[in-house]
Order: sequence, then structure tokens, then C-alpha cells
Amino acid sequence: MELRLSDLRNGESGTITSMGVSRGSHRMHGRRSGHGMHRSFYHLHHRDWGFIKRLEDMGLTPGTEVTVVKSAPFNGPLEVSVRGSRLAIGRGMAERIFVEVKR
Amino acid sequence: MTENNFTIALAGNANVGKSVIFNQLTGLHQHIGNWPGKTVEKAEGTLHFKGYSIDVIDLPGIYSLSTFSLEELVSREYIAVERPDLVINIVDASLLERNLFFTLQLLELETPMIMALNQMDMAKRKGIKIDHEKLEKLLGIPVIPTVAVSGTGIYELLEKAIEIIEKRVNMKPLKAQYGKEIEERIAKISNLVEKIQFKYPARWVAIKLLEEDKEVEKEILKINPKIVSTAEKLAREIEEIHGHSCSTVVTSERYEVASKMVREVQEITPPMKPPMRERIHTLTTHKIFGYPIMAVSVLSIFYAIFTFGDYTSGFLGDSLFGLKPIFDGMFGTGVAGKLVWGGVMEGIIGGVTVALPYILPFYFILYFLEDSGYLSRIAFLMDNIMHKIGLHGKAFIPVMLGFGCNVPGCLGCRIMETERERLLTAFVVTLVPCAATTVIILGLVGAFVSIQWALALYIINLLIIFLLGRLAFKALPGEPTALIMEMHDYRVPHLKTVLKQTWFRLWEFIKMAFPLIIVGSLVIKMIEILNLLEPIANVLSPVTVTWLGMPAEYPIGITLIFGVLRKELTLIMLATLVGTTNFAEVMTPVQMIVFTLVAMLYIPCIATIAALVREFGWKKAWFITVFEIVFAILVGGIAFRLLMLVY
Repeated sequence: MELRLSDLRNGESGTITSMGVSRGSHRMHGRRSGHGMHRSFYHLHHRDWGFIKRLEDMGLTPGTEVTVVKSAPFNGPLEVSVRGSRLAIGRGMAERIFVEVKR
Repeated sequence: MTENNFTIALAGNANVGKSVIFNQLTGLHQHIGNWPGKTVEKAEGTLHFKGYSIDVIDLPGIYSLSTFSLEELVSREYIAVERPDLVINIVDASLLERNLFFTLQLLELETPMIMALNQMDMAKRKGIKIDHEKLEKLLGIPVIPTVAVSGTGIYELLEKAIEIIEKRVNMKPLKAQYGKEIEERIAKISNLVEKIQFKYPARWVAIKLLEEDKEVEKEILKINPKIVSTAEKLAREIEEIHGHSCSTVVTSERYEVASKMVREVQEITPPMKPPMRERIHTLTTHKIFGYPIMAVSVLSIFYAIFTFGDYTSGFLGDSLFGLKPIFDGMFGTGVAGKLVWGGVMEGIIGGVTVALPYILPFYFILYFLEDSGYLSRIAFLMDNIMHKIGLHGKAFIPVMLGFGCNVPGCLGCRIMETERERLLTAFVVTLVPCAATTVIILGLVGAFVSIQWALALYIINLLIIFLLGRLAFKALPGEPTALIMEMHDYRVPHLKTVLKQTWFRLWEFIKMAFPLIIVGSLVIKMIEILNLLEPIANVLSPVTVTWLGMPAEYPIGITLIFGVLRKELTLIMLATLVGTTNFAEVMTPVQMIVFTLVAMLYIPCIATIAALVREFGWKKAWFITVFEIVFAILVGGIAFRLLMLVY
């Protein structure tokens, strides 16, 4: 099933399907459900382009397996392992990464 | 370029040992400055090898050549426009895949290149074995295994570098192939690009246009807008085929090339039990234990630095003030003598007694922790808290620095990725009570009112930081950004590199702060000599006496103004002006609290303003300065009226 990276349990792995960013999402941060979210990747806002690009440059491309090692307390960032490297990803960012998980 | 004069650029990811190799190559012949017009650090050095004189440029540590950060832009422009004779790509052998992803991008810039396969020792400990000869064949560039910290392979690296520059070997660097549907479109665009004069290779431009690189689009748009619109159309086609944005498709395929290569050259036999560094990592990022460990580490560092600093500072100050009779003998005790000693020399002493005892150990520990990997763990733990003021975990580092001295704090804001984050972080840093402010809090309120009040002031300060940070975050346009940070494996820092970084930072501080501290001292002396104290105090009295409630019979308010020039002198000047160090004789507790509150909130000192100007330009620096002064006076006045109700 498809989940957000931030919804994975500690130690759980998934395969990245997409990075979802909706248009006009500038005021959207913190917790919010993904229903009705655009999955359109066309005409990304430049800032979104930048951060999605950054994640991809760090190795988080669609089809890549990513493991959530743990998350910092109080909704802190996630420690993930991808392509042999260890990254810290802010929760807001992790909420926009969609992964396919076998449960 | 003369016959035996070459330029080599070092490029690679962050934390691959690039600066260690840079130090191994150039020794003490280094110069660290900024890239012209950019707040990105540029490290240059020269080295002499077998009759060649080689300039080495250490490019910033980056993961890609897109335009996510200034560092990436600076690096690719340097390689494409300045055209170094050779690029040495430094690669972390223990993280081959991600490093190769960057290598492939460097190769697309079609520059002569060799690879230093570094941290071979680390890879070995992780059970990673790499067939570097095979890698060399696949990449079509020389690959030299190195262990920078022990100097292994550095000599071979240089020999190979010369060979390639002199074109004694002929190698054919790999051109990474993307999928057929992408290659066709790259060819179409690069045909168009070849017809115009452009600094980057046509194929590279074509790929970047497909990746929707804003900088390249902007520049090509100026030359021939048709190319951009054609590329956009072709990118849409790729998106239709793959169902992902074209930029994502290109990045994925590039990673696929790297990944395939890794499968061919690398073998892993993971060690049986988790190594020490993994256990330390787990402990220091633990959801319960991580925080006390961090608190103890940070507090003991501060304690150690302040203990050491206090002792050394006193010792240095006493020794240097011992020179006064000599100066009096040389310049007399007239106006000239007063200016030379009271202005210039006291300024220098003020600088020395701050820089050496406090800033030096601060930088040393900072770089030590950074190189070891602990700073990124602190950022990981603090991310959530920093988000409350619109920043992310990394911002904790400059803020922490600010508690020592705001100047390195402001300069440290460079670790933030975007201009907005840098400015926000710097604003927060300037509100942080530095060591000199702490001295005022403890020396005035702590000593003459009560230690509880001193503590309360500290807490009030933190609350104000929190509130103002949040306000600034709301006021400044732009999206809140998120943390994306690598936490590299723990390692023993390379002492020589840490020392060198410390030294360069200290030198940077001296160059920036000393002239201003001296000017500040001179101004104070001039005012004293010209007997301007009283007139100035009178002009200021509506603010200092009426609004802030400072005593009218002493020119106390004026020391607040001097505090902008040199905050560490505030108490000393206060003592000189009122003629006693027993401040309780001249000020009521309320006045002391208000005085401290104002000194705490306004802009720390002239050197901090200079740091702000350097990082953000005059306009923003003045805005922050004026805002904080006005804000401090406002809060001071309100506090005075409130406290009068209590006392």
C-alpha cells in the first residue's frame, strides 16, 4: 500500500513512488492529510523544485528503497537510510514523500 | 598559463575528506576568501611538485550541480568558465553510489578529470571492497585510491594529475547514457545549443534544460528563447512517457547509471557486530538519552571555554596593560598619548582579550565537533525546537555560537541553504546574549540585585528571541524550509585540518573585528578628550532619564551608547563614569535591571554590525540594527514602568 514516508514505523522500508507537492501549498505546513492533494508535477513552484531536486540529488528518486531508521521525538525529523547513506529529513519534507510498503 | 603553472580544482560531496586532501596538498600556502560577490567560501593554495607550480582551488562540498544552493552554482560556473586544467573528484569509497552520481555530473561538464577514491580505510572497516581498476575502465578517467588522513596515495594522485595535464596518457571519459527517448531529445536540443555561443558544453546545457534548471533557462532565454521553449516541449513529452517530471526522470536515470556501476565494482561483507561508531550514533540520537548527552556536552564546552577564557583573558589583559608606562614614555600623557594608548592600544587589548581566550577555543571545538560528526546529530535533535521559530535544526549551530560571540554566530549562518534562512538565523543570533552580555547580566544584576533576577533576565531574553523569531518568520516572505542533511559516520577528526580551519576563522575574525574595535575605542576617547560626555548625555536624557528611568545625576545612559561600540566595556565604563564599582550606590535595583535589559536586547556591538553588513549588505544590516535598538529602548521603558509597580 502507498503511505507517506513519515507514516512508516521505525525500521520499516518502502519504495519511493513519488514526491507529492500541491500547487499553492505555501501556507501548508505542519500536519495535514493528503486527501485531495494534487499529484501534478507540472509547473512546480521554484522553491518546491529546489527541495524536491535536493532530495533526489541525495538519492531519493522514484523506485529507490528507503528505510526509516527512527524519528526524533515530538514530531522531529526522520533518520532514513538510502543508497547506503544516512540522512536526516525534516518531517514536513517526509510527509511529501510517498512510498509503497508491504504490510 | 605559463609552461609549468597549472590550476587544479578539488570537487566532491561534503564530508569526503576534501579539505584534508586540500591541506595535504597545499600545507601552509593557503588563502581563504570569498568567491567574488558571493558569500561562499573560496579556499586557494599553491603547491610545488617536480618543478611545477600548481594552484589548488578547493570547491565547496556539494551533492549535485543543480542550483539548489549558491555553492553548487559557484562550483559549476568555476569549472565551466574558469576552466581549470584539471578537476580532482574526491570520492568517499564507503558511499560510492551517491558520490558517483556527482562524478557523472562532473563528467558532463567535459573537463579533464581524475578521481581520488578516498576514505579507503573507512570503506574497508565497513566491509566494502572496490575494484578500482575496473572503476577506472568504466569511468574512463584515472582512479587513485587514497587515505587522506594518513597521506596514502596523495603522491600518486599528484603524479597522475601531472600526467593528465601534460596529456601523456590518453583516456576517453565516459559519457553517461540515458534512456533512448531522453538521448534523442538531448541530441535535438544540443544541436540547437551548438549554434549559439555559450560557456557550457552543448550536451550539458541540453540536459540541464530538460532538468528545468532555472539558471540555465534564464541565460539561454537571453540568447535564443526558442531553444528554451523547444526544450520545454520536449520535457513535457518525456513527462508523458514516464509519468514523472522530466527533472526527476533525468536524476533517476543518472542514479541508475551510478548504481549499475557500483554493482559491477563493489562487494560488501558487512561486519558481524555493529561497530562502535554505530553504537555512539544510536546513543547520541536516542530519543531519551540524546538530549541529556547533548546538554551535558554543550554545557561542559561552554563551562570549559569560559573558565579557560576568563583566566587567559585576565592574564593577557594584565600583561598588556603592563605596557602602559612604556607607551606613556613614548607618546607622553597629552592628547596624542591618550589617543594612542586609550584609543588604539586599549582597542587592541580589548580585541586580543576576546579573540584569543574565547573565540579561538570556540572555533577549535566547533570544527572538532563538526568534523567528528556530532554537530549534525545536534541539528537532528534540535530540528523540532528550531522549527518553532521557523528555522530548522542546522540553525541551532550558529545560534549556539552566538552565545559565545555574535560575530562567529553571524558568519556561521552560511550553513543555512537559502538567503531567507540565513537572514532569519542571523537575526535570531544577534538577539542571543553573548559572553559580554552575560558579563553585564551577572556583573550588574547578578551581583547587586539577585542571582534569581539575573536568571530571570536570561529567560526573558530567550522568550523574546522565541517571539521575535516567530514574528520575523511570519513577516519574511517565502516558504518554511525543511531539514535535509547528511549524518556522516562518526570519525576521529583530523587534527591538522581542524587546527587550520580554526586559524583561518580566527584570522577572519581579527581582520573584521579589530579595525572596528579600534575605531570604537578612538571614538570613545575622542568624546572623553573633547568633553562631549555631558552634552551628549543631555541630548539623550529624554530617552535615558525620562523614558528608561536612569539616574539623572550620572551620565549612565551614555554607556549604553558606548556599548554598541564595545559591549565588553559597558561595565568598566559605567564604573569610570560613576567613580565606583559598587553600583548599588548609584543605581536602584530597578534601574540596574532596566539597564541590563536594554544592553541585552540591542545590537551586540559594532563588530556584529560589520559581520551583518558583510553577509547581507548595508540595508539589511542597518534594518536589524535600528530595529533592535528601538526595540530594546521600547522594552526597557515598559519594563521600567512595570517594575516600578512591583518595587
